[in-house]
Amino acid sequence: MNKKNNRNIVLEEYENEFSYTKNKSNLNIEFNRVAFIFFVFFAISIIYSVQLLHLGSLKKGKNIIKTSINKKNYRADIVDRNGNYLVKSVSSIDIGISPADVIDKKRLLVNLKWIFPNKDYKEIEKKLNKNNFFKFEKKISSANYEKIMSLGDKAIRAKEELTRLYPQENLFSHIIGQIDDDNNGISGLEKFFDNKLKKSRKVLQLTVDTDIQFLIRNELIKFKEIFRAKGAAAILMNVNTGNIISMVSLPDFNLNERKTITDDNYINKVTKGIYELGSVFKTFTIASGINEGLIEPDTEFLDSKKSISCGKNHQIGEYDDRMPPDLTVEQILIKSGNIGSVRIIRKVGVEKHKSFLKTIGILDKIDFDLEEVGKPLPIDWNEGCKLETIAFGHGITTKILQLAKGYSIIANGGYDIKPTLIKKNLTKKNQRKKVLRNDVSKKMKSILRKVVSEGTAKLVDVNGYQVGGKTGTAEQVTDSKYSNIKINTLASIFPSDNPQYVLVVMLESTKIAKEYVYEYRDGSGFKLKGSPRNTAGWTSVEAASKIIDRIGPILATKYIEN
Amino acid sequence: MKKIGLTSILILILFTSLVKNSTKEIEDRIYIISENIRSLKIQFEDEVLEYNYLSSPKKLIKHQSQYFEHNLVKIDIMRIKKISLRNDSLKITDFIEKNQVNE
Repeated sequence: MNKKNNRNIVLEEYENEFSYTKNKSNLNIEFNRVAFIFFVFFAISIIYSVQLLHLGSLKKGKNIIKTSINKKNYRADIVDRNGNYLVKSVSSIDIGISPADVIDKKRLLVNLKWIFPNKDYKEIEKKLNKNNFFKFEKKISSANYEKIMSLGDKAIRAKEELTRLYPQENLFSHIIGQIDDDNNGISGLEKFFDNKLKKSRKVLQLTVDTDIQFLIRNELIKFKEIFRAKGAAAILMNVNTGNIISMVSLPDFNLNERKTITDDNYINKVTKGIYELGSVFKTFTIASGINEGLIEPDTEFLDSKKSISCGKNHQIGEYDDRMPPDLTVEQILIKSGNIGSVRIIRKVGVEKHKSFLKTIGILDKIDFDLEEVGKPLPIDWNEGCKLETIAFGHGITTKILQLAKGYSIIANGGYDIKPTLIKKNLTKKNQRKKVLRNDVSKKMKSILRKVVSEGTAKLVDVNGYQVGGKTGTAEQVTDSKYSNIKINTLASIFPSDNPQYVLVVMLESTKIAKEYVYEYRDGSGFKLKGSPRNTAGWTSVEAASKIIDRIGPILATKYIEN
Repeated sequence: MKKIGLTSILILILFTSLVKNSTKEIEDRIYIISENIRSLKIQFEDEVLEYNYLSSPKKLIKHQSQYFEHNLVKIDIMRIKKISLRNDSLKITDFIEKNQVNE
């Protein structure tokens, strides 16, 4: 029994045979379904997102501009200060003929002759026989386009082109300039702003006024004929901002004709022409002396001789033998004395006067908005008589534009300005750089006014405008020698108590006008027939007076808010 | 939590797509209007060009001499008057006072 009960009990570690295992197959099916649905949603959302991004990147407004700008030969328009078009790019249609596609040449020629009767049809017939495509007519009108297309001839090909129109024709020829057949600017603003005009759609607004430009040009043409001048030029500029309201150079040319100009007489005489301008420089001599504190308007220069020597036996005399020996500084400018000017400049000295001329922008090449800018000839200041001749504007060259700048600085209180043709926001007075002493402007304005009311520029004393200014008659240098050809200039400012404008008028190579009648402006009603001399006082001064007569009321009323 | 995040992103994407789809219609209308404005602007610019040409000083002077018997007269600045309204009454003064240009 015990034996039976002696059974060994073996305790084994209990191992549960049940083990939970993930039913991989079933769960995978469920997970894949979710992933699939998620994937579908994800894919849809990606497609939507891509579409969204695509739609978002499309800015239709910009696209419109881009397609327009990319048009071949596109150039931005140019307008004057009042928004009148001076240059406009417009679509035009050119008509060409492909002779290979002509069915009936005779019939085509008859039809073309009916629409364009003034063309040379013998030449066109020759071209038709050559079988090469040729341009029949450029820039046709819409009426003629309708007619020619109604012929229904498949040999006629119309091509739309962009072309440049100049509605004011000659009026702004030197300012706007020309472009070549490849749409590149070759002169004027068209050249200077070539890239900007090609790339930007924004119109370029200028400071010039079409009406004033027209009036000045008309008067200049008139006086160029009266005094049989070779050329003429004028600039009207705001003395405070440097904004050029008008700039005329004669002769000029019609921009729509696109002529190739090789004659030097057609240069821009305001910016490119380099001249010795004579006595208008005496203003700078006196202003330089006042700026250095060496002279005052009433400083006296006594016992001046009739001539003065300098360098190697060089004699400087007066143009008028009746010049008094005792003159104040003021009288020297009023009477335009050479000897007095020489005595003043000797007081100032080379370095100080050189520095003064540099300060008012006379000596260096000017930074301007046109390519056609001349560089004044270099001056050898150590040359025997150089300083003395510069005192009365000989032996020194500059441009009319720089002369206008110099007079502006003297008139505006001594602030530096940059002449410009591009309309910008007005420069605040306190941002401008003062380059001259406070009293220079005040004293010079008074003297310049007296030059007009009592001196050599009496004919420009237009009632109501308080014109101040200085005349300059210079002999032109030809073949390194002074000739009889005269450059007559008037540099004027008005109104002289608070100058707003500088007007410079230049007539080149003038002759005496025997038939012209001068009307004196002193209230006497005196009239004089025939010009006694062909100097500035009788030529450019008279032209300037008529210009101020015309433009004065417009300037006074139209720009009163400026 | 992740599911809520994913679902909300999906809902947002769908919602944005729907909104964008509806704005597309507005964009189309804007496009059509801007195209019309563009062509009108070109037309307007051409009209202004024509006006500038026909009313240029050169043309006006030509027409004046062609159609009118009398010549144009220049204005004497001393005869220009200023009209100003003060206390409901008009006051007329000289444009140039004391021989000075009023600018």
